[in-house]
Amino acid sequence: MREISTRAPVGSAPQSADAAVIKARHAEDVIVGEEIIRHRLLSRVIHWTVAVSMLLSLITGLPIWTPIFGWMAFLVGGLAVCRWLHPWLGIVFFASSVAMFAHWAKGMGMTKDDWAWIGPRLFLYMKAETDDSQVGKYNGGQKIFFFTSALAALALVASGVVLWFPLNFGQELRELSLILHDVTFILFTASVIGHIYLGTASEPGTFAAMTRGAVSKKWARFHHPRWYREVTGEKSQRF
Amino acid sequence: MPSQHLEIRRSSASLRGSETGIRQLPTVSKYIDTTTCIGCKACEVACQEWNDLKTQHTQQTGSYQTMPALAADYWNLIRFDEREFEGGVTWLMRKDQCMHCADPGCLAACPAPGAIVQYSNGIVDVNPDQCIGCGLCATGCPFDVPKFHENTGKMAKCTLCVDRVEVSLEPACIKACPTGCLQFGTKQDMVALGEHRVAQLKANGFAHATLYDPPGVKGTGVVTVLAHGDHPEWYGLPRDPQIPWSVSFSKRFLRPLGLIAIFGTIAGVFGHFLRHGPKKPPEGEPPQPQPSTRA
Repeated sequence: MREISTRAPVGSAPQSADAAVIKARHAEDVIVGEEIIRHRLLSRVIHWTVAVSMLLSLITGLPIWTPIFGWMAFLVGGLAVCRWLHPWLGIVFFASSVAMFAHWAKGMGMTKDDWAWIGPRLFLYMKAETDDSQVGKYNGGQKIFFFTSALAALALVASGVVLWFPLNFGQELRELSLILHDVTFILFTASVIGHIYLGTASEPGTFAAMTRGAVSKKWARFHHPRWYREVTGEKSQRF
Repeated sequence: MPSQHLEIRRSSASLRGSETGIRQLPTVSKYIDTTTCIGCKACEVACQEWNDLKTQHTQQTGSYQTMPALAADYWNLIRFDEREFEGGVTWLMRKDQCMHCADPGCLAACPAPGAIVQYSNGIVDVNPDQCIGCGLCATGCPFDVPKFHENTGKMAKCTLCVDRVEVSLEPACIKACPTGCLQFGTKQDMVALGEHRVAQLKANGFAHATLYDPPGVKGTGVVTVLAHGDHPEWYGLPRDPQIPWSVSFSKRFLRPLGLIAIFGTIAGVFGHFLRHGPKKPPEGEPPQPQPSTRA
């Protein structure tokens, strides 16, 4: 059982500083007072680089997709700016997605139980009717979203490069890219909406895992019981 | 340049044009007779001069053709092809330029509102003020006409000399033609002229002569008389030009479906929140593990 004192050592950060945030600069899966560090600083920086570049890509891409979102173009200075900026944001999104994949892939191994999330398991989870006692640091839905996001980044960059320099590619490849870029971004955007919802309003306490990096013990015991047991060494059941 | 005088029939990335119907204009068309073209290139020069396009170095491609293909500042090109037949050869020459389709693939594919417009007389034009230079119009065009201009970062193509046509002049290329193989007028008149010429050709041994006015794009604003109409590809023309399926599929199917999917997901998560609310751990301390059940 690893426990970190909430009292800051002499000569380091002042008492008033957030002990969890300080600890979360380097460590993950450790206890700080009544909290557990879920995402250290590096994890959070990678996550938010992906998230911000994705959202900015969306803001600059949607007005090119349909004039219904034309107003978004004015946020960056017009459609011509979108056409110039969107590919570069896409590059940042792809590069940070590669970093994200490398950073998280190790903990994302799919178990038999995880695969069941493709199907009714997900809907039962959304109705809070599932037994999550064996859920580790990431549940099946999170792992599937992780791989969805990696595949989306790959498909978007491959088709995006063709759409960036269309006149350097053949007609068939251009047409294929048009379809692939559309289909991927639609599915990915819908997934991201679900991801944001689950990370904020739907499950209170989750958002702090990506901001301060820490979650309450209670939260961990409720949402990720196996991870909680691994970190604390407790044998307690979920509730 | 966009016309200040003509109403717009259709505009890219818009559900409607601005045509009010008060001033109805007949659809105009060029008429090209490939059988009487002598390949003098006067139309190429006239196009460059009128549109003030940069003079190009010609490129030797092993034929009488000036350039390998249309370019961002070369909007009018006489394509040349030499065909061997039993008993001799024939020179096939066709004036290549924007076809001004009645159902333009470039306009359908363009994502920038008003960057490609179709005027009330049928002329399809690029508005450089609105063009973002994405090149999607080139993907939408079945004739490979719009070209990216490196200097301006915009797409460029034949305007059918809209700046001349709107003040009742014929396009520069037509004006320059010495043989009369190029004519200009209403679409109706040009089709009638073409059909007359095709009948003449058929009576003179060209059984497959046709007037190229492809229905796949609902007809073009350039009608072309082909002596060998059974082989339009000899003239560099597609047999059955269509707006690419991917462009129609993406605009007419994926776009509404995607909007439903995205707004549907947003509505779905709101609905979920209203129905189920936030998922919170129950109050109080968790139960202690029961050794008997865990054994």
